[in-house]
Amino acid sequence: MIEFQEVQYHAGRITILKDINLTIPDGVFAAIIGPNGAGKSTLIKLLLGMEDPSEGKILIDNTPRDSWLKHNGFGYLPQREEYDRGFPATALDIVLMGIAGRIPWGKRVGDEYRERALKIMQDTGIKDKANSAIGNLSGGEFQRVMLSRAILSDSKYLILDEPEAGIDRHSVVNFFELLKELNDAGKTVITVSHDLHTLNKYCNFLICLNKTLHCHDHSELIDQQLIDRTFGEHSRLIEKDY
Amino acid sequence: MPGFIIVALIGAVLSGISLAVFAPYVTLRRISYMGEALSHIAFAGIAIALISGMNLTLGAWIFVSIVALLISWLSRKEKIQEANTITIFLSLSMALGIVLISLSKNYAFDLSSYLFGNVLLISISEVWALGILNVLNILFILIFYKELFYLSYNPEMAKVFRIRVGLIDHLFYLLLAANIVLNLKSAGIILVTAQLILPAVIAFNLAKKLGWIIVISVIAAIVSALIGFYLSFVLDIPTGATIVIVQAFIYALSFIFKRRK
Repeated sequence: MIEFQEVQYHAGRITILKDINLTIPDGVFAAIIGPNGAGKSTLIKLLLGMEDPSEGKILIDNTPRDSWLKHNGFGYLPQREEYDRGFPATALDIVLMGIAGRIPWGKRVGDEYRERALKIMQDTGIKDKANSAIGNLSGGEFQRVMLSRAILSDSKYLILDEPEAGIDRHSVVNFFELLKELNDAGKTVITVSHDLHTLNKYCNFLICLNKTLHCHDHSELIDQQLIDRTFGEHSRLIEKDY
Repeated sequence: MPGFIIVALIGAVLSGISLAVFAPYVTLRRISYMGEALSHIAFAGIAIALISGMNLTLGAWIFVSIVALLISWLSRKEKIQEANTITIFLSLSMALGIVLISLSKNYAFDLSSYLFGNVLLISISEVWALGILNVLNILFILIFYKELFYLSYNPEMAKVFRIRVGLIDHLFYLLLAANIVLNLKSAGIILVTAQLILPAVIAFNLAKKLGWIIVISVIAAIVSALIGFYLSFVLDIPTGATIVIVQAFIYALSFIFKRRK
């Protein structure tokens, strides 16, 4: 279970997040929605420990975030990953990053982890590119490499920041089907997304954010009223047409 | 061949190896400017050691290590751009070095040997120090190979996946500082920078895997040290500068093989 208690986040004088009180139960498929600049990515960075809240606290499994992070980690798929396309790494090397933190200093990644990584890459449909240099992968292929890495980390929490960015409709559906399978297998999935149409089908817990929290609930449906509350009165729910 | 020449030759080779082992990481992490800055920052360390009567190499290493860690810490905590922090410390250290040396009564100090380097002045104890440093460098890379790999790829993501990059980053800078300071006498402030880049860019043209890149970088450094040393001896020209010219020549040659890779 993840709890945000009275969390505020300021960047200089600008308030990015205000009065965030949020409880995400275990086992949900949660979606964070909100307009650009609503603080969605910041909320995730606070959770991951990449940023510290200006006020308030974050509890994970009833433990303060920093203590929890000493012994646990998240499976994370970032919105964009900064990397040098000429970096001498293969797709498999990047997937193995998900497990590298658990292997003691001085030890190399063993065959059992390599096999597990390749199995996951098969599930995500990227196994044939395992030995390709990362500079030769397309945006969608690299997205699947990052998802494989997040899965290999074997965390009970899978955090995704706009996973549908840069991939086509067919891949988005496959991607969410895979996330659904992982969710059914017991993982808590939390995803930031703009793809309301897809979210409606797969998510069972909705977090509406626009600097403050507008709702967080086991919503069945994303409706116009909800969109008005989160995005402002003049927004319209438009189904993404691929 | 006179004994001091043999000592100098071994010194030149060990100096090349020590910088070449770090060069691929410096290039991948895009911190080649850090290598240049730290070698300039060492100037203030030498000046402080000179004033306080401390061993020059030890004084410079302590000073450069403190500044390197301070740069890394300030950039992270205060979110000042690393390039700005480095420039501030570089200017301050150079200014401090000049003021302190002007106040020093030690006129016998040969500053130019630290600016441009002279491998012929290297002592047996300094060669031993370089040898020990090379062993430490290799152990460091063997023990933390995967951590250094992911630290160089993306430190922020490495941290998310619980790879303990913080401590390894600090050790990296401490060793980098030691490598720069110990090489000042043979390569000089100016040429250390070149030796921290050229072997790596040669290796990147010839190999795809990081392990091989490090090996080729070291081979390139050894070959250029031997050829550069021989040419400087025969033509009676400065050794450090000749080694760098040979490295630049090998770099140009490596493009021929890059096309065929």
